[in-house]
This record gives sequence, C-alpha cells and structure tokens, in this order.
Amino acid sequence: MKNFPFQLKKLRAETRRQFFGQTGLGLGAMALSALLDRDVFAAKQAWSIPSKVKSVIYLHMAGSPSQLELFDHKPALGKLHDTECPKEFLEGKRFAFIRGVPKMLGPQSKFQQHGETGQTISEHLPNLSKLADDLCVIRSVNTDQFNHSPAQLLMHTGNPLLGYPSMGSWVTYGLGSENKDLPGFVVLSSGGKTPSAGKSLWGSGFLPTVYQGVQCRTDGGDPILFLSNPDGMDRASRRQTLDAIEDLNRFQHQTIGDPETLTRISQYELAFRMQVSVPEVMDIGRESQETLELYGAKPGYVSDAESAADPRQLYKGDDATFANNCLLARRLVENGVRFVQLYDWGWDHHGSSRGESIDETLPIKCAQIDQAISALITDLKRRGLLEETLIVWGGEFGRTPMMQNNVNTVLKPGFIGRDHHPYAFTMWMAGGGIRPGSFGATDDLGYYITENQLRVRDLQARILHQIGIDPHRFSFPYQGLNQRLIGPTEEGRVLTEILG
Amino acid sequence: MLLSDSIQYRMQKSSAAKTCGCCSITCWVLFVLLCFAPNCKGEDHIVSPDGKVADFNRVIRPILAKHCLSCHGRDDASRQADLRLDERDTAIASGAIVSGHPDASELVKRIKSSDPDLVMPPPDTENPVSQSDRKALVRWIAEGAIYSEHWSFTSLIRPPLPPSNSWSSKSVDRFVYEKLKSENLVPNEVAEPWVLLRRVSLDLTGLPPDQKAREMFLANPSEQSYEQVVDYLLGSDSYGEHWARMWLDLARYADTKGYEKDRERVIWRYRDWVIDAFNADLPYDQFTIQQLAGDLLPNATMEQKLATAFHRNTMENDEGGTDDEEFRVAAVKDRVDTTMQVWMGLTAGCAKCHSHKYDPISQKEYYQLYAFFNQTADADRGQPLMKSPTDSQQQELSGLEVELKGLEKEYTQADPVSDQAYEEWIKQFDSKPLWNHLELRDFTSESDVKLEQVQAGHYNVAGELPEKDIWVLTMGVTDSREITSLRLDTLPKPQGGRWPDKNVALREMKVEKVDAAGQVTPIQLVNPRADFSQRGWEVQRAIDNKPEAGWAFSPNASQPHCAIFDLEQPIQMAVGEALRFTLEQQYGQGLVLDEFKLSSSSYPVSWLKGDVEALANLRELYRKEVDPRTQRLAKAIEGKRSKIRSVQNRIPSTPIMQELGEAKRRETKIHLRGNFLDLGESVAAQVPAQFGAFPEDAPLTRLGVAGWLLQESNPLTARVAVNRFWARLFGRGLVETEEDFGTQGKLPTHPELLDWLASDFRGQDWSIKSLLKTIVMSKTYRQSSKYSDEKLSVDPRNELLSRGPRFRMSAEMVRDQSLAVSGLLTHRIGGPSVMPPQPPGIWKSTYSGEKWKNATGPDRYRRALYTYKKRTSPYPAMTTFDSSSGEVCQIRRIRTNTPLQALVTLNDVAFFEAAGGLAKRMTESSSVLRQQLSNGFEMTLVRQPNKSELDRLVELYGTLEFNESNGKKILNAAGLEQGDPKLVSLANVLLNLDETLTKP
Repeated sequence: MKNFPFQLKKLRAETRRQFFGQTGLGLGAMALSALLDRDVFAAKQAWSIPSKVKSVIYLHMAGSPSQLELFDHKPALGKLHDTECPKEFLEGKRFAFIRGVPKMLGPQSKFQQHGETGQTISEHLPNLSKLADDLCVIRSVNTDQFNHSPAQLLMHTGNPLLGYPSMGSWVTYGLGSENKDLPGFVVLSSGGKTPSAGKSLWGSGFLPTVYQGVQCRTDGGDPILFLSNPDGMDRASRRQTLDAIEDLNRFQHQTIGDPETLTRISQYELAFRMQVSVPEVMDIGRESQETLELYGAKPGYVSDAESAADPRQLYKGDDATFANNCLLARRLVENGVRFVQLYDWGWDHHGSSRGESIDETLPIKCAQIDQAISALITDLKRRGLLEETLIVWGGEFGRTPMMQNNVNTVLKPGFIGRDHHPYAFTMWMAGGGIRPGSFGATDDLGYYITENQLRVRDLQARILHQIGIDPHRFSFPYQGLNQRLIGPTEEGRVLTEILG
Repeated sequence: MLLSDSIQYRMQKSSAAKTCGCCSITCWVLFVLLCFAPNCKGEDHIVSPDGKVADFNRVIRPILAKHCLSCHGRDDASRQADLRLDERDTAIASGAIVSGHPDASELVKRIKSSDPDLVMPPPDTENPVSQSDRKALVRWIAEGAIYSEHWSFTSLIRPPLPPSNSWSSKSVDRFVYEKLKSENLVPNEVAEPWVLLRRVSLDLTGLPPDQKAREMFLANPSEQSYEQVVDYLLGSDSYGEHWARMWLDLARYADTKGYEKDRERVIWRYRDWVIDAFNADLPYDQFTIQQLAGDLLPNATMEQKLATAFHRNTMENDEGGTDDEEFRVAAVKDRVDTTMQVWMGLTAGCAKCHSHKYDPISQKEYYQLYAFFNQTADADRGQPLMKSPTDSQQQELSGLEVELKGLEKEYTQADPVSDQAYEEWIKQFDSKPLWNHLELRDFTSESDVKLEQVQAGHYNVAGELPEKDIWVLTMGVTDSREITSLRLDTLPKPQGGRWPDKNVALREMKVEKVDAAGQVTPIQLVNPRADFSQRGWEVQRAIDNKPEAGWAFSPNASQPHCAIFDLEQPIQMAVGEALRFTLEQQYGQGLVLDEFKLSSSSYPVSWLKGDVEALANLRELYRKEVDPRTQRLAKAIEGKRSKIRSVQNRIPSTPIMQELGEAKRRETKIHLRGNFLDLGESVAAQVPAQFGAFPEDAPLTRLGVAGWLLQESNPLTARVAVNRFWARLFGRGLVETEEDFGTQGKLPTHPELLDWLASDFRGQDWSIKSLLKTIVMSKTYRQSSKYSDEKLSVDPRNELLSRGPRFRMSAEMVRDQSLAVSGLLTHRIGGPSVMPPQPPGIWKSTYSGEKWKNATGPDRYRRALYTYKKRTSPYPAMTTFDSSSGEVCQIRRIRTNTPLQALVTLNDVAFFEAAGGLAKRMTESSSVLRQQLSNGFEMTLVRQPNKSELDRLVELYGTLEFNESNGKKILNAAGLEQGDPKLVSLANVLLNLDETLTKP
C-alpha cells in the first residue's frame, strides 16, 4: 500500500475513462473529471474562447424590482400620473392582475444623474449611485414570460418549463471548478423564501446531477446539507472511521478490481476535506471589522424573516442576510467557486397587501441591498478581482407603468403597486470585462423598448461568452437534440460591439 | 457557371442562417451537383480488406448523420440545396452519389475538397469528415451505396438461436457467448453464492435478501434452489415496489403539481396501481393499454381508470394570472413526448417546432399524434378527479355495509309486542299534541302590512306583500305549558301578485320571552333544522346574527316548508306570558312570508323532526326514540353510517384522463415553431407513417394509439421494453441510449439477443416476471463481477458482458437497504406519501403554506418510493444519489459518484438511525465483540468478513474513544436510548462501504 497515491492516480484516470464511456456523454464526463481533478482539465474544449473572467456572481431580485423607481426615469409618466392608461397599451395584452383600464402611476422616487457616464439612478440606491461608472445599465431587457415561475426559469435555465439545467450548471459543466475542495456552483438565498420556481432554478436538468447548484445555507444550520458529523462524532473519530472505510474499500478493490471503488475512496476523502473547507469559507467572522462594516455584514446574524410564514411583514432596512451573502459571494469566488447565485426574495411589489408596495417595501428592500452590492463591487475592485468576476443584477421581468388596480382603485399609502411587465425592464452588469455605460432605451412611459432590445437569450449568450464559453457551440446531447442554454434557434446574440 | 452558382449561394448565407442550431450543425453552402465527369484519380482503396460489405446502419448512417443530414436530411424546412442524402433514390438522382463510382460522386469530391468554398461540411461548422470516415464512405459507394433501414425501424423477427456451447445452453447465454467468442474472451465464473443472492435480491426486490431467502439458497446453492429463490423474490410484495419505482421515473410521478405554487396533488393511488400491476404481473400490453386509455375501455373499472393517471402526472400551474391553455398545451405535448419516449424510445419532442431531422417524424405527424391526446377534459385546473378507494377502504366499506344491512333488517322486522306498546304510546298526542300552535297577540310591521288569521294559528298578509319588511310578532298560549322547541310552517304563496319570485328570505329570526310584568328575556335557539333549505341559505343562517343570508327555499318555493328551532333551555310559559318573534325579511323583491304558522312543543326535542307532516312517521319515531330495543339498534345504525361517511371522506380523489364529449372535441392545428398561439393548418388524428399503419377497426382515440404501439408491426415497443429491464439489471441497456432508439441513438451491442428477448417477451404474453426470470436465470447474469486485467482492457465497459453487472445502487435502494439491514424498515405497501426526516428549512416554497413534518413512528422508516416528492424541492438525500425530481419523464438516470453522497450516508439522520438499528441488532446477536462485528457485516453484505476485514473492524473498535457526553450524543443521534456508541460508529462504517453501496 506504500505506493498507493501513485496507484490511486493511475486508477483514477481509469475511472475517468470508465465514466467517460459509461455515460456515453463524452463532454459531460470530461467536465466531471475536471470537477474532480482540475489539473486534468487542461484540454481546451471546442466551445472555449479566451477570457480573463473566472467567476460569475448573479444577484437575482426574485419577484422583480420596479425599473421605473430604480433605473428608468420617466418624467413624462409623472405627467400622466393618475390618468387612465391609453388604450393602445392594453389592447391584446394580458396582465397577471391588472383588470379593465388601469391608471398610470408616475415615478414614486427621485432620480439624479451620477458619475462621468451620467447614469440616472434612484435616490433609493445612494451607495450604488457613487459607483455609477462601474455599471453597465441595460434598460432594454425583454422577456416573453409574465409569471414568476416561468420567467425565472427562462432567465436561469433558458426554458419556461421545468427540467432544464440552470446557467450555473451549464457553466460548471463547461468549465469545471477551480477549487477541488469546494463545489463549483453555489446558491445563497435571502428574503425569507426561495424564489417561486424553487430549486429547479439551480437544478442540473438533463446534465449529470454533479453539476447542480449546492445551496449553502446561512441560517445557522449546516452550510451544506449533511456536512456536519452526527452529534458526538468528533473529527478524530470521523477520521478513524473513514480510515477503516478506506481500508475495507481497498480490500474490496483488490478482490474485484472495479475502478469505481477508487473513485469512491477519493470522494470520501473530499467529503472529509469539505467538512473543513466549506465552513471556513462560509465563516464571514474571519473578515476584518472594516470589511464587515463596508458590507453592513453581521457574522452569525439570522433574520426573523427567514423563518416567518410571511417574511414581508418583518422586513427591515438593516437586515444583514443579503449583506452577509454578498460578502460570502466574494469569499467564494476568491476561493475559486465558478458560479455564485444569490436569490433575494420579496421584490414583487403589487401593492395589493401589506409588505409588497412600491412606496413602503421597495425602499426597505433597497436599503438591504444598496450598501451590500456597492461593497461587493468596491471590495472585488480593491482586491483586483473585479475584472475576473462578472456581476449580474436583475429580476425576472419589469413592472408596469400602470398602477395595479385589482385591489385598490385609488392611491393609498402602503398599497401603491405595479403589475408584472415583460416588455421592458432594467438589469445591470459590472466587472468581468463588461464596458460600463448605458445600453438601450424605452419610450417616454417606459412601456416599450425603443432602442437596442436585449432578450433573455442575448443576456445568457453574453454571460457565457464573457466567462469564456461560445454560447452557440456549447451544447449537450439530450433527447435527440444538442441542447443549449440559449435554446435551439440563433436568437442569442453576444452583442460584443456594444457591451465591450 | 459552377463557380458563380457557388458564390451566389454563399451570399444567401445570412438568410439561410435561421436554421435550427439545436440539431448540431448548420451549413450554408449549396451542394452543387452537376459534375459527373470521372476526372479524379482513384486514390482510395475501394476493395474492403475483409471482403465484407460496409454496414450501412453501423458505419455509414452515423457518418451521414453527424456530417450531412442536418442540412440534407428529412426536414424540409432546413434542407439546403434541395438535396437529400438520407434516401438512396434522391441521393443518386442528384448525382451526389454515383453507385459504384466514388470518384464520380459529388459527395466524395466535396468531403475531400481543399477549397474552403466547396468543401463539405462547410469549414465554419468545424465538423470535417475524418480520414477513416471518408474511406468508409468511399468503400460504401464503391460497393453500390446500399442503404438499409435503420435497425430499430425494421420488423421484429425472432432470430435463430446460436448453437449451444460448453458454457451454457440457455438462450440468452448462447447469444452472449457468440459475441465473447468473436472477441476471444471467456465468461467469468459464477459469482459466489452470497454475491449472487444479494445481487438477485437487490435486483428483483430492491432489498437485500431476507432471512428466508438466505436460508433457501445459501445452505444449498444449487441450480434448483437458485430458481426457487428467484421465484420467491418475484413473488414477494417488495418486487412490485421496486419495479414501480423504475416506472414512476418514466411516469414523472410526484406528489405536487410543479411550478410556482407547487401545491399538493393527491395521486398516490396511481403509484399504488403501478405497484399492484407489477406484483400481479399485469401483462405489458394490458399495462400499456390501461395507462394510456383505461378510461376508454368498455365498462372501464375504477382500476383501469386509475391507471390513466399516468398522463395526469403532467405539471399544472396554479400561479395567479397564468393562461390555463398555455399550460394545458404544455401538458398535452408532454404526453405525446412521454408516450413516444417510454414506449418507442423516440425523441418526438424535436418535431414540435420542425420536422425531426433524423428520425421519421414530421412536424405534421407530431401534431397528428398530438390530436389524439388533445381530447381530454383536463385543462390545467386539477379536474377531472375520480373517487378511488383503496382495497382496504373498499373492504372496510363493504364490511360496514353488510353490518349496516343486518342492523337495518333487525330494526324493521315485525314486532307485535312493540306494535302494541306503540298503540298505547300514541294516545298521549290526543290530549297533548306534538305541536301546539301559538296565537298572535300583537303585530308590528315596518312597512305597515296587516296580518289576518285564515284558520286556527294560520296567519297571512292581508293584501299585497311588501318588498321587504321586519315583523315583530307577540305570540301567546292558551294554556300554561313547557316549551322545548319552536316551529315555523310556511305555505306556498298564491300565483300572481306584484312579486314573481315566490321564495321567502328569512334573514334573521330572534325570539324573546315577555313575562306578565313586561320583563323581556332573550331565548337562545339551537339545533335548527328544516325540511329543505336553499343552497347557501341554510336554516342555521337565520339565527347566526349575520343578515347577509338566512333561511330560504328556492327552487322549491311552491311547496310548504317547516323549520324547527330548539330552545337551549326549555321554558315554562304561563297564559299571561308571551313570546316575541322578530323576523327580519329585508332581502327585497317581495321575499317575505305570506301564510305561516308558529307552534311550540313540550316533547323531547329528539322527537321533533324537520318534517312538514308533523305526525308523519310516528311509528319510526317510536322505534328510534322510545322502544329501548330499536332505540339501541338505531344508535348502532347511526354509528355504522357515520363510520361509512368517515371512510368515504378519506377516499382519495385521483386525477384521471377523461375524453371530451363529441360536442366539445378540440380541433388540432400545427403550432408553428412550436408556439401554441401561432397556428398553422388543421390536422386529423393519425400516427407517424413509418411505424406501421393504425390498426384496422381501432377507434381513432388513445385506445387506438395503444393498439398501434402494441401491434406486431410496431418494431419498437417490445425492443424498448426489454432493453429497459435489461438495463436496470446490467446497469446499461443492450442499446445504451435507452431514451433514443432513433438514428441518433447508439446501436445495440447484441442486436440478435435484443430481438430474441423482445420476441420472447411478446411470445410469453408480455409477462414481465417471465422476462426478468429469463434474464436472471442466465449464466451471463450470474457471472462474477471481478475485473481481470485482460477484460479491463478488452471490455472495459462490460459491453461484451464478459463479467457480472456491478454498479452503485439507486438512491432508493441505498435508503431501503440501510433500513432493511438495520431492522427499522416498515413493511407496508402503499398509502399516502410520507415524510421521513429531512433537515429543517428545506421547504421554503412561496405562499403554499404546506409544511414538511418529520414523521415519527412507522412512517419514518418506509421505503423510499413512499417519500413525499415535491417537484420544486425534492428530498435532498435522494437527489444527491441522482433520483429524479419528477418534473418530466426520465428514461434513465446518469450515475454519479460525488462527495455529497458520502456526506449523506455518513451523516444524514436517516442513515445514522439505520446505523443505530444495525448496532442494536449486532448487540442482540452475540455478547462477543468479534462475533457482533462479524454478524453485522453479514447482516449487511450477506457474507462473512474475511480475517483481514474483521481484524480491521476490531481494530477500529479498539481505537475509537468517546467520552461519556459524546457517547450519549451519538446514541441519541442514532435514535437509541442505550447501547454502545462505538458499535454505532462501526455500523455507520458498514453502511458506508463501497461494497454496501454497490450491487455486487
């Protein structure tokens, strides 16, 4: 057994071949091997394109924030405030909740221009405004789904139906992980609930399950499910039991010779290492006071909202859950995690009940994210990581220029809301080689796009491209098709000419 | 001319660019095919060295599919240059192929060309034809360019058996042996008895062998006892549970509807139907027909309808504001895709948007098939549902009904003694009537109507009825009496008059007692009952203090009615006292009382029934309330009835398929580019032409589709089925791509064996148990799974079947085995899904409010297939081991081997409790440590440990050390009150061995 490491390496290579063959899913297996052992992943793939970007941090505001209060300033809409919506906007349209003829709702926040690029940004995002020149604000995003679950699925899996791999799964499948002691695709959530479409948003669909997002939990329990030993089983005893498992597995391998046994031995070892590496990377208490203050992060903080039946009633501006997650996101990409997905729930501001209004709830939600996101950009920049980390921010659609009228027909404080609006909304990107500036525009009321429409598939194409994957060539054979994140048609455009 | 054509077509590149990238490559350039002149020098050898003809299916079609067919195949929409290479006639007519003359063939010139404008496939697709593939094409054309039908689309013909051989005379083995021989390999020896027993038990039942199976085989591991144990396993209930799990992946079974709300869907009766079907060995043809069209069978039974829930497992979207039609259409498409995937191994899904590029399913044919499935009543709204009692519920109900009948018979039997007593009893009503009317003393009306007395106690409104009114009636008695209950009788209003609606709306009624001194005391009314109440206007709403609704009786306003209200406390009324009734009748439209009577009773309230005829059924009343013998029986009868009701309330309602009536049938149109809002031409129901004609005389319904799938001319159904069962046993199908038997799928490793098994399956009346028995009885299956160096190099993936199947067990088997080994497993078949422990905070679904509650008691330890499956949040321990989330049909699971799996089996409470159970069994099995460990090993792995294994376990026991507090914690975590924490750790080790997690 003395030369075991050598033997293991040799046999592990055989296992890889075994897997490669067994699945009949060549490329997936290659990526899997990369996930297991990154030094093998030197070979360039056909879809590979040069890129300095190593990681993506995707900040999804589940429920969809109002672009009209945050980024897309429409003074003309203010002039039509409280008047009936022009007919041409309603004919042939379906809304989730708006019925009949609604009234227009003017901007409910003040705007100012910021930075050299002159970005118009809301008063609700004072910290982010200071970083205006780092952002590429896209005011012309368009989706074709107007309900949360299908729209979120479309945004993250490229398909409004369930069962497709998420962007993070695609990216880890394509690029593997930089750190063999950590999962390549990590999901963090805040806001008290998971997004409407649930865990399918980070599922691996038809890709091998090894690529599914690993939800790291920050509510005081195990950061990764089942990471902790059973109560009373200390690390030394765990080590002893794992040694015995390994020895018995080796006996088994000597008898049978199945290379899969050796893979299992190494996976048990990795599990043991993860028991240390994951809590370490997840421990924001290791950060300096200055950094914690920068983010507004609070180690060990567990919000009441996280366990409430209706968390919206408990939202406070100083809730640190999202800030903690932003800081974690930085720690994770710093440690080589490929794709960090943050979901923050509670942005569905219809105004039909308490805790979901444009006038009361939106400012609170903004307070929860403004400092944290700004800190994330600042922190990545000063550590020299911003150029290799792409940050994406947005919801699954936008909100209507009309007031939602199914509950209140008159404006009532705490109940001012907007319905779902798929036709035009705002997202932004930062870092990761994206050229800062403004992209696209909407009409005077913010209803339709007038310039440079960016569809969901374009966005996905862009994200893949940015991290070094040719979105058109990047595919996986399933059900007789070469499935792609950007879908079967040639719609997904990379738009390098405009986005840098 | 050629050149200019070429350039011209190049310029069309951008317009042709909208081809479908999903089907791999796009190519833009026209295949110009005019040059027949043999102007090239023959540079390739066209004579095959072995003299064999190139195998079109095995060699040539894959090359064409990879490099040519996406632009020159069967899809009209994406075809370039009007050239087809998938058909011989058109390929030859176009000049692309000149039979026997590769050098004259444009195809060959193009693939060899070094001119970037001419070479095929175009350089920008980065898909050049390799040197060896070019040679193969050249050779194939030289030999005459023989096309043959894709192997799986050809008729299924039972192949002749290869000769018997020295290894085995069994049919399966003869095919396998031929192949091994051709590769100069010999099969492995038979596996050790304990390996074989564990393997076959895990394969057939999903559980390790129980004590009986161990005794049956291990004591005397002969051929006969092996067969005996196989029969025993096939006959056990666990068999159906295990194979049902396999089928549920295909059925995309889950306990919730999916999408945002992802609310519960009660459909476990379908899961139990599948278990029962496997256990009863329902022939695969029946199994198919019932699931696809059980509702359409003549006189369909409940079970047959229940089977159709197969296609009600599609997702539904309950999110506010969604378009039901959009999700109904998505469900119907899913049914088409799933049907084709499950039964024919074809990926029809591509044809939703365009004709399939590789397999013979055009877009029109897709929607023709869709038309069959487009005719069911469900529309993304949950309905239709069917009451579907379980066997035990049915038994309970029929038992109760028999008992009820007996009691009822006894109750109504002639009884002269009782009759006589009854005659005596009724006399009392002559002196003291059951109901005694009250007399009006005073009356006020908001709208100033007057009442007039029409006969004793009967009053009506004089003249026209008011639109609405509030009456205050002061009613007195002529004799002093006790009052237990009050009664209001109403008589039908005469026709005509101002108000057409003859209903009455008594919105509120209030009663007070006014004593002689004028003192007013409110009277509490309870237990209201009426002979009839309008829906939503039940009589209790007249005394609920809420004026929105009260008592009314549409549509039966033309009949007399009565309402009875008991007094919470009976009162004594003297002649000078009165009852004051306030009747609020403010609904409007003249819904005010006309002729009515108010009465009181002094009798026990149980005697006072809400019957218009107050004295009707006195005989019945006597039986029920007075005669002690029948009174007892009546109570027993009511008890039975209430039990029956409670059983009936527990009966689950299951979503089923239900055909729309003739008048409601939907028209089916092609969805252009797959968009349900963008409709093309209308199509009639029909099946894809390639796979056999629609059976004659079959109805044009799903039933006919099932018949088409099962008829002998369908080449795929039997092949796909046997391949699937084979794959579950061997870890890989004879066709590896179980999900794709089309031209893009892999070719079978043993085509003759596959066909032999498929035709045998048909020949054995589609018996799944027979099929499985044939396979597990083979020597191929019984081989040891040891890897020799030679085999690792010649047959690394065991495609030649040169050793036994060894692979990691499924998620469900991993759980079930640990429960079985630990002695914790609850053996109970079926029932609602259960919630074994999962870490807190996993379910955080938006809005639904449904909660995961860790089961305690037996439901904590049920087999994995009973674990509640929420589509948006499946059970984490299971998905870590690759189980499906049940969103869409999953034909096969890709096995992974990850560190997260290790964390589950090491640390998950479910597995640690199993370790506790196993430790307990070990402790109980012996008082000697070494023996305990050896026994635990054997309980888990069906074999005794060898010396080094046992030594290592003993050594571990010696090195582990837990202080008292940790020891207690470990026991606690393992669900034990007392025991040896070190032994628990040892059990945890045993449950985590590679051998344990692997089917041997």
